Amino acid sequence: MADTGADQLDDTIVSEPLDLVRLSLNERVFVKLKGDREIRGRLHAYDSHCNLVLSDVEETVYVMDDEEADLKTIKKQSEMLFVRGDAVVLISPPTQS
Amino acid sequence: MNNGTAESPFSPSAEKSETLSNNPSAFLSQITGAKVAVKLNSGVEYRGDLQCVDGYMNIALEQTEEYVDGVLKNQYGDVFIRGNNVLYISSI
Repeated sequence: MADTGADQLDDTIVSEPLDLVRLSLNERVFVKLKGDREIRGRLHAYDSHCNLVLSDVEETVYVMDDEEADLKTIKKQSEMLFVRGDAVVLISPPTQS
Repeated sequence: MNNGTAESPFSPSAEKSETLSNNPSAFLSQITGAKVAVKLNSGVEYRGDLQCVDGYMNIALEQTEEYVDGVLKNQYGDVFIRGNNVLYISSI
């Protein structure tokens, strides 16, 4: 019992940046990607390259419309998604207070 | 021509740099816990409390504000930034 308590304490310590991602496992996360893309989904797996596996994903793509000169957003849904790590810019647990 | 004294232009004459840190990662460990500005190659800037940095220059920030063209666009509780996107880290 005391063991698990100590483990839990350890689990919440962020001693390296990827610990933040580890703490977000099985949570819904917000991911910013290269090329003006954003993704929200449940994080199932990650590795040191930031390769990610997400489920129930909503992808938002921001496109500049040249003729209208306004910002268009395109939304795409996917059930399961693998993201290659080199496209990742930022990962955040979406607990916007 | 110099007068022959072999004084290297790179000798650590500046004592100030001694009192700071003589390598970049020492500087990074000095400023962990402080409020920092992280600029990415894309020009986007993140301001927040630096939690930690690793060898890839991956960064964890707390209480983060996202500035695009100097305008506050977003706020995040915690943020992980992948190191390859980092242009600079500055303590503020």
